[in-house]
Amino acid sequence: MATDSPKLTDSVEFPSELNVTKVLFGVGTAGLIASGVGYFLNHEQFFFSWLTSFNYFTSIALGALLLVMIHHITRSSWGVVIRRIIESFSSNLWLWAIFFIPVIIGMTTLYSWTDPSYYIDDPIVAGKQPYLNEPFYIVRAILYFAIWGWLGYKLHKVSIEMDRTNDWGLTTLLRKISAPGILIVALTLAFASFDWLMSLDAHWFSTMFGVYYFAMGFQALFAVLILLAFWLRRRGVLENTISQSHIHDLGSWFWAFTIFYAYIAFSQFLLIYYANISEEVLWFYHRMEGSWIFIGYTLIIGRFLIPFLLLINRDSKHNKKLLTISAVLVLIVHFLEMYWIAMPALHSQGISFSWMDVTTMIGLGGIFLGLFFRTYAKNNLVPVNDPKLSDSLAKSYHQ
Amino acid sequence: MSKTYEYVHEPTLVKGDHDFKSITALITDINLRPTPKAWYAAFGVANLLLLVMLVSIAYLIWEGTGIWGLNTPANWGWAIVNFVWWVGIGHAGTLISAILFLFRQNWRTAINRFAEAMTIFAVMCAGIFPAIHVGRIWVIYWVFPLPNQMAMWPNFTSPLLWDVFAVGTYFTVSTLFWYVGLVPDLATVRDRIKNGIGKKLYGIFSLGWRGSNRQWWTYEKSYMILAGLATPLVLSVHSVVSFDFAVSVIPGWHTTIFPPYFVAGAIFSGFAMVLTLMIICRKIYKLEEIMTIDHMEKMNIILLVTGMMVGFAYLMEVFIAWYGGVEYEKAIFALRASGPYAWAYWLMIGCNVLSPQFFWVKKFRRHIGLTFVISIIVNIGMWFERFVIAVTSLSTDFLPSSWGYYTPTLWDVLTYVGTFGLFFTFFLLFLRFLPMVAVAEVKNVMPQADPHNYDEEGNYIAPKVEVPEPKRES
Repeated sequence: MATDSPKLTDSVEFPSELNVTKVLFGVGTAGLIASGVGYFLNHEQFFFSWLTSFNYFTSIALGALLLVMIHHITRSSWGVVIRRIIESFSSNLWLWAIFFIPVIIGMTTLYSWTDPSYYIDDPIVAGKQPYLNEPFYIVRAILYFAIWGWLGYKLHKVSIEMDRTNDWGLTTLLRKISAPGILIVALTLAFASFDWLMSLDAHWFSTMFGVYYFAMGFQALFAVLILLAFWLRRRGVLENTISQSHIHDLGSWFWAFTIFYAYIAFSQFLLIYYANISEEVLWFYHRMEGSWIFIGYTLIIGRFLIPFLLLINRDSKHNKKLLTISAVLVLIVHFLEMYWIAMPALHSQGISFSWMDVTTMIGLGGIFLGLFFRTYAKNNLVPVNDPKLSDSLAKSYHQ
Repeated sequence: MSKTYEYVHEPTLVKGDHDFKSITALITDINLRPTPKAWYAAFGVANLLLLVMLVSIAYLIWEGTGIWGLNTPANWGWAIVNFVWWVGIGHAGTLISAILFLFRQNWRTAINRFAEAMTIFAVMCAGIFPAIHVGRIWVIYWVFPLPNQMAMWPNFTSPLLWDVFAVGTYFTVSTLFWYVGLVPDLATVRDRIKNGIGKKLYGIFSLGWRGSNRQWWTYEKSYMILAGLATPLVLSVHSVVSFDFAVSVIPGWHTTIFPPYFVAGAIFSGFAMVLTLMIICRKIYKLEEIMTIDHMEKMNIILLVTGMMVGFAYLMEVFIAWYGGVEYEKAIFALRASGPYAWAYWLMIGCNVLSPQFFWVKKFRRHIGLTFVISIIVNIGMWFERFVIAVTSLSTDFLPSSWGYYTPTLWDVLTYVGTFGLFFTFFLLFLRFLPMVAVAEVKNVMPQADPHNYDEEGNYIAPKVEVPEPKRES
């Protein structure tokens, strides 16, 4: 480490000519309008497509929220230069709650447990009424978003404040929020995944499902971060700040959580497949039936095997081409996996893609990224007064 | 926002006024000094316990597993509980040396050697139980897929066989990793020792280490590769152990969260064991300046985190048992909380979930006495966790007419207590003959290794970053 202090040579202002917020909001709105038309054509398909796309982005935002908090409690230095990017994703979770409203509207379409005539002859589903009922479902969703929204907003706000006040004591506050925050998010995330996706099949249950949801979102988050870092650097934003070594660290995390995802997803599958008891095996049975099995294979190959093999070599963890291929692939398969979890509840016969799957993805994706760029462009692109910034800048890739 | 917060400096990893030479002396002199009398006393006690284990095992082989408290349907008792408990303890070492290494957690250097040794001995203790419980130990080699004229193979679809491979691999890689890390330090002892035979032996095991640039380069490369190989093993071993239970259709065993839940529990108990041993050793061997209170605080945080993970899994199990609506699952969890073993269940919750809650408070995290007590409580709790899992699910099975109460016999207890003899025999030998702290690695993380940006009190102060543009207000 050099004795003279490291310099931040890049501008910390977002170049206004690059600001794509408006374009993204435009695209997003168009997507939402198109999806809105779909609602009148086939409301069942609309709600299921919406739920799939909504979970696609929410899982990534929750991954971001957790990663910000992990950064704070571990006092990590490597990621300081990219922390603003992560914070900008999670800081908008309170606004993101708006897009849950269609799920509430479509509840009776999405969830069979809302229909008394369905569970009247089914004592198992009837037994779940204290948990699976419409008012409680809504209350829980409000609670989840209140917690996530507040945490994401607050962690971002304090971090911005540190830019202005240069008060290092705020890192202590950030840690004090993050420590219980991780615990609360872990619990709410698990229950949200039960509510939103697991209960689509009112009979099925898996204690691992919350961890599985986290593992998917966290892996996809690193894919997003890698692509964004490349996108920004290619346009000269933070070109010298986000160095090869930071990319390498992102690549390592991405690779590690590719394995973690496979570990969790495979364990869940293996235990249910091996025991083969009727109360749980049906969920996988439906997802391995007909053409659904093809998505099943795609998950193994696209989300684990290919990125695992491409990035296994040390040098490939900062190789732009290999990282881009893997990240894009994972983001595509992340959609397929959400689709594979949610959609068999509607199309039990086999895969049946609808144009609404695309429009809801474009609509929600446009807004999701638009919100990100709006927040990211408004503030300093790196936490300029963070005590760890000099350490983070000093990282260079050795060997 | 009216409240102001104090910035907490990151502590330096080695306290006191040390240079590289005094660190070498502090650690390796323990091996070079004449053996203290107290060591012989401790070694004697450990040997006696080891003898207890050997006698118990000899009697078991002579008489059969009937000497244990097993009954039908509780066909698995203390043996499996002890196995899982010891394997779990054996997780901290590799986590500290491999995963924390990859995460660049420099504080690991003070405890990694120590924890790895503990890992290896704990896995040895664990390995005994599945081996002796088979009944006919003289055909134990049947667990290996050896070609034979009867064309008989082990059941490859059985997790019990996966266990043999998982634990075997883990033991091999952990030992290799430990040994590779030891090589430079063995050379240090070799160079300092006066005794001729000792010099020869340390010389042989330090593999001709000269400390050349090229050797360090190779060393660090191989250390990195072994860390990479060991990392998935930390997860896989206890996942496979959890499969022993979870692939079955026994209520309370068959649940999908078992693999990560077992791994978290293993790390939890392993760290507790490292803490217990560390608190004693740092005192006896006067290593307080290397294994500092700051290390203890960090380990207590890990104890809190993994304790909460275990608590998370308990909650998921109970919730899903209710939510799933399967009668047997519901019944088994009701029986756990209020049945004949309710005392064990609540002991488990109290020890594993409630006791680490003290560590939310910084003052408690830095309190040596409290940490020592909680580290032992945690390991008691983790033993009862495995007891609750194994025994409650079996003793109250699908047929109420066969329900019974499982009670261990004296031989169960003696075998278990005896394994502590095995553990401490090896551990004491380790303390006596090998440097218990990684000398070369600790030197690497001392302020002297990178003497920049420290203030008068020795706090690391990161230099101010120059920012080019005038900052914008948000």
